[in-house]
Parts: sequence; C-alpha cells; structure tokens
Amino acid sequence: MSGVPLVYYLGLSGILFLLGLLGVMVRRNPLLLLLAVELMLNGANVALIGFSRHWNNSDGQIFALVVMVVAAAEVVVGLGLVVAVFRQRLELDVDQMSRLKG
Amino acid sequence: MATTLGWITLALPLAGFLILALWPGEPSKRVSAAVGCGSILGGFGCAAAIFLGLLGDSPEERTHVSRLWTWIDLGDLRVDAAIQIDQLSVLMMLVITGVGFLIHLYSAEYMAGSRGYRRFYAEMNFFVFSMLLLVEAANVLFLIIGWALVGLASYLLIGFDHDRPAAVAAAKKAFVVNVVGDIGMVLAAVLLIRELGTLDYGAVFAAAPAGLGQGTGVAEAVALLLFVGAAAKSAQVPFHTWLPDAMEGPTPVSALIHAATMVTAGVYLVVRMHVLYQLAPIAADTVAVVGAITLFMAATIAIVQVDIKRVLAWSTVSQIGYMIMGAGLGVYGGAMFHFLEHAFFKALLFLGVGIVIHALAGEQSLDRMGGLSRHLRFAYVTVAIGCLAIAGFPGLSGFFSKDAILSGALADGALGKTLWVVGTLTAGLTALYMFRMLFRAFWGPEPAGGYAHPPHPSGPLMAVPVAVLAVLSVVGGWIEVPGAWHGIDDWLHPVFADSVGAALVASGTDELITGICSSVLCIAGIAAAWWLFARDPSRRLRLAGVARPARGVLEEGYRFDEAYDEILVNSTRDVGDVLRRRVEPAGVQGLVTATVAGMRESAKGLQKAQSGLLRTYAFMIVLGLALVGVVLALAIH
Repeated sequence: MSGVPLVYYLGLSGILFLLGLLGVMVRRNPLLLLLAVELMLNGANVALIGFSRHWNNSDGQIFALVVMVVAAAEVVVGLGLVVAVFRQRLELDVDQMSRLKG
Repeated sequence: MATTLGWITLALPLAGFLILALWPGEPSKRVSAAVGCGSILGGFGCAAAIFLGLLGDSPEERTHVSRLWTWIDLGDLRVDAAIQIDQLSVLMMLVITGVGFLIHLYSAEYMAGSRGYRRFYAEMNFFVFSMLLLVEAANVLFLIIGWALVGLASYLLIGFDHDRPAAVAAAKKAFVVNVVGDIGMVLAAVLLIRELGTLDYGAVFAAAPAGLGQGTGVAEAVALLLFVGAAAKSAQVPFHTWLPDAMEGPTPVSALIHAATMVTAGVYLVVRMHVLYQLAPIAADTVAVVGAITLFMAATIAIVQVDIKRVLAWSTVSQIGYMIMGAGLGVYGGAMFHFLEHAFFKALLFLGVGIVIHALAGEQSLDRMGGLSRHLRFAYVTVAIGCLAIAGFPGLSGFFSKDAILSGALADGALGKTLWVVGTLTAGLTALYMFRMLFRAFWGPEPAGGYAHPPHPSGPLMAVPVAVLAVLSVVGGWIEVPGAWHGIDDWLHPVFADSVGAALVASGTDELITGICSSVLCIAGIAAAWWLFARDPSRRLRLAGVARPARGVLEEGYRFDEAYDEILVNSTRDVGDVLRRRVEPAGVQGLVTATVAGMRESAKGLQKAQSGLLRTYAFMIVLGLALVGVVLALAIH
C-alpha cells in the first residue's frame, strides 16, 4: 500500500505530544493548560490513526473518535472550572490553587 | 401411612408456631389460644392414629423409617432428613402431644392476664415441635438438632418474663448448662461417624457390636459422652443446678417442659441408645449410680424448700433420677413406664399448684400459705391425688411404675441391689416431702397476716385438664400390674429385642418384696409428714432451730451453685482480670498504638510531596513514565 509511511505519523504524533507535555509543565494559565492537554490527546490520536492505516484495521480510528468525545467532555468540565474560578475573582494561576495540599 | 402421619404430627406444631409468630398485628387471645391448642390437639390426633395403626401391624414390624431428602452427602457419610416411627417414639409422641395439649388448654386461662399471650403460645408450639423432632428423629444428627432446639425453646420460655432479671438469669443458666450437654452429644456423634461411618439408628445399632466392640474404650467413651448430654437435659448430678432455677418460668411452662416432657429427654436418649449402653458396662453403671445419687440428693433437698414450685422442681429431679437409674441398670420398660406415669402426676401437681399460685396472685412461698383446703377444694383434692401418686401409694400410678424400676434393680447383681436400697428408702422420703408440701399449703392455720390475695376458685379451662390428669394419675398405673399383665413392657419389647444381653426381668419374689417395702415406707413417710407438719403446727417452728447447719446445706442444694461459682466462674473471671490488666494494655493496646504512631510518622515524610502545585505533579508523572521506560528498556536488553 502506497501513501505516507508510518514513521511520519509517529514523528508528528511525538512532536505534538511533547509540545503538549511541555505546555502542561511550563504554563500557569489554566486555559492554556487545557489547550496543552488537548494537544497531547491529539498527538495520541495521530498515532492511533497512523497505526490504523498501517495495519489496515479500523479499530484505531474508532478509538480516536472515542478520544475526541472524551476530550470534548473534559474541555467542558475544565472550562466550567475556569469560569467558576473567574467568577470568584481569583487569579487565573494554577500555582495559586493549592489549598488542598497535604 | 404411619410415617406420613408422623410428618404431619411434626408439621402441625411448627405450623402453629409460624402462624402465631408471623400473624400480622396482635391476634386476639381467642385466636392465639385456638391456634396454639388446636395444633397440639391435631398432633395428638395424628399420634393416636399412628398408635392405632401400629396395633394392626405384627409386633416385629412396627418400625417405620421415612426419608424426605438427603441432608448431608459427604464421601461415605450420608445423613437423611428422616423420621423413625416405632413403639418407643409413639409412646413419647402420645405423652408430648397429649399432656402437652392439656397444658396448652390450661394456659388459656392461666396466662389470660399476661401481656405476651401470642408469644407464649408461639413458643410453646415451637417447644412441642422441637420435642417431637427429638423423639421422631431417625438418626443422631436430627436427634441433636431437636435436642438443641428444645434447649432454645426452654431458654425462651424460662425467660418468658424477660423484664424480670431473675428469670433472665435462670434462662441463661439453663441454656449454658444444656449447651455443655450438647457438646457431649456432638462429640459422641463424631466418634460414631469415625468408628461406624453412619448416624442412622438402625445402621448404628447393627454395626455397633462389631464396630465398637464389647466394653472397649471407644464404646465407653461414646456412651459416656451421650450421657453428658442426657444428664444436662435431664438435670442429673452434676448438671442439675439449672432445673430449680427454671421455676422462674410461668407454671404451665414448668409443667410442660420441666416436668412432663423435656427433662425426660435424657431418659429417652439412654433407652433409645440401649444397644450402645449394653456394649459399655462401665458407662451403664455410671448412669445408674448418677441416677441413684441424684434421686436421693434431690429428695433430701426437697424436704426443706419453702418455695412450693421448688419442692416440685426437686421432686422432678428426684423422679427423673429413678428413670435414669432404671435405664442405666437395663430396666428400660420400667424407665419408660415411670416416664409415662410421671408425666401424668407431675403435670397434675404443677397444674394443681398452679391453681393455688394463680388464686394467690403469684404467691409461691409455703410460709404465706396454709389452710387453703377450705378455699380451694378442687385444687386440694387434685394435688392430694398427685401427692399420693408420686409417693407411690398402693394402687396409684406411681406405685406401679416406681416399683417396676425398683424390682428390676433388685433382680440385678450387687450394684442393682445397693441402688434398690437407695431407691426404696427415697420412696419414703418422697412421701415425706410431698406431704409436707400438701399439709403446709392446704392444712393448718391460715398464715399470719392473711393471704397475699383473697383466693378464688379457677375457671373450667383450668379445672378440666387438671381433672383429666388426676384421673390418669389414679388409673394410669393399671396398664402394667406385676404378676398379671405388662402393657408397657410387652409394647416396647420388640424395640429391645436387638439388645446384646437380655433386659432385666424381675421375678415374682422381687416384685413382692419391693411392693411391700415401698408401700410400708410410703405410708411411714406420710405419717412422719403428718406428725411433723400437720398434727401440731407449732412443732415445725420448734424444730426450726434443730440441726441448723445441715438444714442450711440442704436449703442451698448442697451448695453446688456456690462451688461452681467458686471453681468455674471466679477462676475464669480471675484469668480474664489478669488478661485485662496485664496482657491487654501491653499486648493488644500497645500493638495498636505503635501501629498508629508508625503510620503517622512515616506519613509526615510523604506529606511534603503533596505540594498542591499542579505542574509539579505533571512533572512527576513524566519523571515516573521516564523511569518506567528506562526500566523496561533495560529489561528488554
């Protein structure tokens, strides 16, 4: 089967995932944090679809769809939290939100 | 046919119990009494039908076993849910349901003032069911189940007035002592399984002579362990202490459970297991000697009791001692005969005395009675008949049945002759203590200060059962007359046909000697009681100071309770005390405290990792993943 080889998919997937991971670790704004998580999820999705094409098996694509649904739900909750924090007139900084520490 | 009726006999009291227990709301007293009495009457009808049916069979073919389903199937051991109908179980069933019905009927009026009317009948029906299960069981396992349920029913009924601490304590005592006996029974069953691999009566008795052997240690152990159960249930020394306390229960309960039926379960057990006792001569002799010690001790204690129900309780212990002694010596027919007659006259005595207690609004002390024959004519006449019967007055039931045991003992060897002396002398004591009770309650002057409650005569529901029992106590003995006919012996004979040795047969001379001696002693006892307690009422008060220490020992029942408290209760409490004060703080509590402290200290270190910084957590996850990756990579190489 011709087309884009698997290694390009995996390369793109790895780059997206690492960018997302970096974003999660350095960003302090919860909105950008959510964005970075989204990036990681999509990195994983690219890998799933790449494998799906490589093995000519649709399971990976179905799983990618499931991941999208979960991601959408997660964003809804996350944005809800952001709005709630904003309404409390608190600073949008995840490092400040540490009241539940041990 | 016989077994179907047997199952119905068993089912009716159980159904009565369930209906009463599950009845929505509070049924009226009329309904409770009707269900409670009706189920027992139905059971009696079935038992009578079985009896008549068995009369149609030839004597050797009167044993019927019926299996409903297999209860346990373990390797070679199989135990069925089965009943066995034969001459012995039918005799027991007739007494349990017959006398039981009369007592249920009596209770309808006696318990009328009680709050727990429904509970009373439910528990009484439950007791009758358990007792029937005990006597109908076809294997040792179901015998033990019935045995334990009877103990439970006894506990519930002794503690019927559960807001009275004395009743609750008596119930607990009875239960604990009975459980000691249950343990003996279970151990005996385990030994039977190990040695013979079966618990069915027929199979056990067939295999026992070869499987256990004559006079071997195992045979003695099985027989002695069974007797532990029998002695606990039948209140024989040294397990007798619970029965006098059990008088805390309502009087009909005392009549049904602690006189007529339950306490004779031990006699039934020894008679049912006679094959095993014939293989174990030492155990059988132990049974006989324990019975003799009990019957004499209990009779001496009964002479000084002031509580009228306790007099009857000790006389019950004494009379069961006769039966146990007979069963131990091999006078099985005599033991069962005395069981039958004892059920009549002891139920009569309890119910007759119950009329008195009811009339005096619960007063049980002989010191607050006297002169009652003028107020309670009916109770006086019936109790007097009961006293004559139990004392063995010639011609009444106790005369025939007690002499059947004693003449059998006289036909035995040296041991039997020794026990005959004890039993015959005690017959005189029996007359003495029974007529002491009669004279002090019904004769003489009225108590100083009057009665606790103006005595009133009883209604028909209480009078009819007492009258029926009085008639049975008079004529019941005539089913077996020495030298003429032997109704009970002939009826039970096939049951004992498989005995290894021949059951003891008394000769005419033995019967004559016994009859004369016991009659003379009976009349002497009555005369002594009359001289001491009736002829001159002040004589009793003058005698009160005589032999004060000995009387004290007797009043406290030879201080068995104190000894048990000292040896068993206090030593256990001391051990517990040491454990609580020394072992528990250092061992158990120390261990717990150390564990908690250790957890708290180690948690303090880990607490620092919970910084609350989201990005640190994410970093830690990445770090962890990297570590896992490195480890995996190393592992693959």
